[in-house]
Amino acid sequence: MMGNLRIVLRLAWRNLWRNYRRTLIMLTAIFVATWAMIFMTALMRGMVDDMVKDSISALPGHVQIHHPAYRDDPTIANVIAPPDGELLEVLRRPEVVAWATRVRVPAVISSERDTRGVTLVGIEPEREARISFVADDVVEGRFLESRDDRGLVVGRRLLEKLATDVGKRVVIMSQDQDNEIADRGFRIVGVFESKLAQFEEGFVFAGEGTIQELLGVSDAVSEVAILGTDYRDVEALHRAVAEAAGPDVEVLPWQELDTYLGSMLAVMDGFVVVWIVVIFLALSFGLVNTLVMAIFERVREIGLMLALGMTPRSILSQIVAESILLLAIGLAVGNLAAWATVEPLKGGIDVSIVAEGMEFFGAASVLYPALYLKDVVLANVIVLVLGFFASLSPAWRASRYDPVRAITKV
Amino acid sequence: MSITFRLAWRNLWRRKRRTWLTVGAMVFSNVILVFMISVQFGMYEMMIDNTLRAQTSHLQVQAPGYKDDHKIRQVVPDVSLLAAELRQGLATEDVAARASAFALVSSADRSFGLQITGVEPQFEDRVSSLPGLITEGRFLSDSMAEEIVIGRVLARNLRVGVGDELTFIGSGRDGSFAAAVVTVVGIFESGMQELDRGFAEVPLGFFQMIFAMENAGHAIAIMAPGLIQVSSTRSRAEALLPDGQELMVHDWDVLLPGLKQAIQADFVSAWFMYGILIVLVAFSVLNTQLMSVLERTKEFGIVMSLGVTPGRLGRLVMLETTLMGCVGMFLGMVLGGALVLWLNQHGFSYPGMDEMAGKFNLPSRIYPDLSAVGLLMGPTIVLISSIAASLYPAIRLQWMQPVKAMRAA
Amino acid sequence: MYSVRCIELCKTYRQGEVEVIGLDHVNLEIKEGGFVCLSAPSGGGKTTLLNAIGGLDTPDSGEIWLAGDRIDHLGKGDLAEMRLHQIGFVFQAYNLIPVLTARENIEFVMEVQGVPAPERRARSFELLQEVGLGGLGDRRPAQMSGGQQQRVAVARAIASRPALVLADEPTANLDSQSADQLMELFVELNRHHRTTFVIATHDQRVMGYARRVIRMLDGRIVGDEQREAA
Repeated sequence: MMGNLRIVLRLAWRNLWRNYRRTLIMLTAIFVATWAMIFMTALMRGMVDDMVKDSISALPGHVQIHHPAYRDDPTIANVIAPPDGELLEVLRRPEVVAWATRVRVPAVISSERDTRGVTLVGIEPEREARISFVADDVVEGRFLESRDDRGLVVGRRLLEKLATDVGKRVVIMSQDQDNEIADRGFRIVGVFESKLAQFEEGFVFAGEGTIQELLGVSDAVSEVAILGTDYRDVEALHRAVAEAAGPDVEVLPWQELDTYLGSMLAVMDGFVVVWIVVIFLALSFGLVNTLVMAIFERVREIGLMLALGMTPRSILSQIVAESILLLAIGLAVGNLAAWATVEPLKGGIDVSIVAEGMEFFGAASVLYPALYLKDVVLANVIVLVLGFFASLSPAWRASRYDPVRAITKV
Repeated sequence: MSITFRLAWRNLWRRKRRTWLTVGAMVFSNVILVFMISVQFGMYEMMIDNTLRAQTSHLQVQAPGYKDDHKIRQVVPDVSLLAAELRQGLATEDVAARASAFALVSSADRSFGLQITGVEPQFEDRVSSLPGLITEGRFLSDSMAEEIVIGRVLARNLRVGVGDELTFIGSGRDGSFAAAVVTVVGIFESGMQELDRGFAEVPLGFFQMIFAMENAGHAIAIMAPGLIQVSSTRSRAEALLPDGQELMVHDWDVLLPGLKQAIQADFVSAWFMYGILIVLVAFSVLNTQLMSVLERTKEFGIVMSLGVTPGRLGRLVMLETTLMGCVGMFLGMVLGGALVLWLNQHGFSYPGMDEMAGKFNLPSRIYPDLSAVGLLMGPTIVLISSIAASLYPAIRLQWMQPVKAMRAA
Repeated sequence: MYSVRCIELCKTYRQGEVEVIGLDHVNLEIKEGGFVCLSAPSGGGKTTLLNAIGGLDTPDSGEIWLAGDRIDHLGKGDLAEMRLHQIGFVFQAYNLIPVLTARENIEFVMEVQGVPAPERRARSFELLQEVGLGGLGDRRPAQMSGGQQQRVAVARAIASRPALVLADEPTANLDSQSADQLMELFVELNRHHRTTFVIATHDQRVMGYARRVIRMLDGRIVGDEQREAA
């Protein structure tokens, strides 16, 4: 059998190069297909990854704890006590990278020139800095220094809309625990920038203590955000936190907090497979055609080999081997080309001409292609496995030739 | 039927299986393209239509700078009067004046800051779908009525229903304190998160009074008869604007740049994918036709020695490809069209679409329409690229030498 | 013992719309070490008989025995196995696998049989010498003349030391000088290894080398003549 395998491979290899034009055309097609599969997947993955990462760093963390009514009605009426007891112990475990509490309510911000509706977030600056990006993205002035800081950090776009500046005062109005309008002047101490315009325009940050005092909620908070090690695997963390937090609060992983992103990630997984299969099918017609032509040209030879005592099985393996070799070379070149295209683009592809369109999808205007080993493996495996099955039919027919007729065929 | 044509057709079926496999590649790609393009165009149209109908409409007359800053001072003077003139000048009722300002809206329990828009109750339904989306109560009645309609989510967050009162506080055009009490008369449900959560409409006259707007407004929304007529309607509207005032007419894509760019970004990535499919078909055709030419070297040699020019043989090969391409195009259009028609009846969805659809102002089940563009665009490009792919084998024939060719095995 | 024994072989096949009688109650015995020519006009049944003996084709009725084993009822796989080990074939032309060199063509059957590489190597070297092609082992079929190609085919046929070599019009595409050389090679091998040769031909000069000439017409044996070969 081993001897057979060697001769089968040798025949397959040499036959492949007999009609080098046809083989080269087919190789180019396989190469283009493979490249497209991997490159496109890398782009999509990059886009979704970025969306998820940005969005997670833009606030949710991996798991959040809320009052059960908060998500539907995000006001100061629906607050929870800060973590203590069992929950605090869970939060001290090593699998929790960081956690922070926030008071997060709708508010109105007014400058001398204009008024806007925003989301007011009271944060613990030291803790928050380890979860979300705001601290790193302050481009002017300073970040908040403590939970009792009396300053306010706003986005660049909001600053422009309000026609105000760092150091100037603005008035924040929101509803307090007793449904009364509470208002208070704040001095803008810092400005942040974000990849997502709506974030830059819609969020303002203040010290948690200051906001609690303003709204009269003592130490209660709107949410606890918890950051684990990997956003793709939050199930264990979610379960641990949910158990410790008890039944009176709602504990949710990010996929459920942002169903759009969660479903986007799932849809993308499905799409990658569909894309690879569709491309393969488009390719498969050419592949089968090539094999059919190759066999047709060699009917007599195949008859001869059968007459000499080569088994139909060996003929079948020879043709399947030819097809697999062809695919393997095409795949190798395609993989290499995809890698070579993605690698220089790692720094990001600027798509800012459609920045607002990308924002519409919730994506940033720079795409960072992400080449995942599992996608590359998936593409290669799908092509080889389906390629194997696609070549079975012509190979089977060839192996069933009647040697006498085949050999006398002109 | 000319003899060349008959010859080409018969040559095509000399190697049935090869021809069918090549046609199969075309049909496969064509079906995918017809399906994808139909769904894609259908979705774009719905995205545009739903978004424009709910929010901006096709065109808006605004003061310069308003679209970026949304400042209450950037006004269109005598807005109702101008709207009436435009109605007359454009000979259409699909024009409505609007004004909007930021206010803090409070119910007994809750307060939210949001954008309040003043609209002309008798004309708003001509430019916007919102009046028709009222699921509870009714739309605004009179220009001076102290009434408000709000989105479903906002109503829930404010904990109010039809008949309840809301107060709103803001600042007027002159910087004065603006406040009023209004009655909720209707609640709409658009399915668009943004609108259902943070949008409220009051009558324009009432709005102007409260916010000290006098007769001014912020925009005049104009609906063109269709997307194609937007730019012509725009130039007509521009001509009707009064001299001496600095007013501008903006297209929807200027008003909502995100929408157009989202479509562009999607369009580009979709065409990248289609391009790959088309290239793969072209390779398939190239392979088949090259082989078919090489196989017939001897035959071509004989025919050439009889005096047939290489150019004629080249045309024969191209004609064969064209015939094959037409079979592929026809079958692809029939199958693809049938698929789209079936989906037009039964709808089409994929897991996760619910969540995504709300974000793009789309229904969660898509019923693609069969259009000429959707049906013809993909298959035509496949046909053209197939013919282009057979250029190489056809051109190769020009260097063929009859004697050498005849000796070929 | 007989090398080949056929009893009451019958075979009809369709050629287009017409039913053709290939073999009509053929009875035949060939002794071990024989050198037999099957002679018939085109369509006389010689190729059909040769294919039946070689296990390439199965008769409708009758028995075929090869070296004491009955083969007419064997399945495809067993027939392939039998051809591989017991029979060498030489066909008209286009006899070699074009992508393999002369040496590899000779080794082909041995390789399929699973003979180890050094042994194959030695045997193909020896065979190339024997058929007079020493030094041409690395040429591909396209780089050799028709006569040389047929010699490679012969070398391949006897490579695994079969008891029986079947040749179907082996000289059909050769010039007379190459044909003579090929036949001399056959005679030489027959003498030297006591390999049985059955050669289907209608070439008178080929028949001149045979020790027994069997004539066929319309699927029947019409003549069987023993002669002293040249």
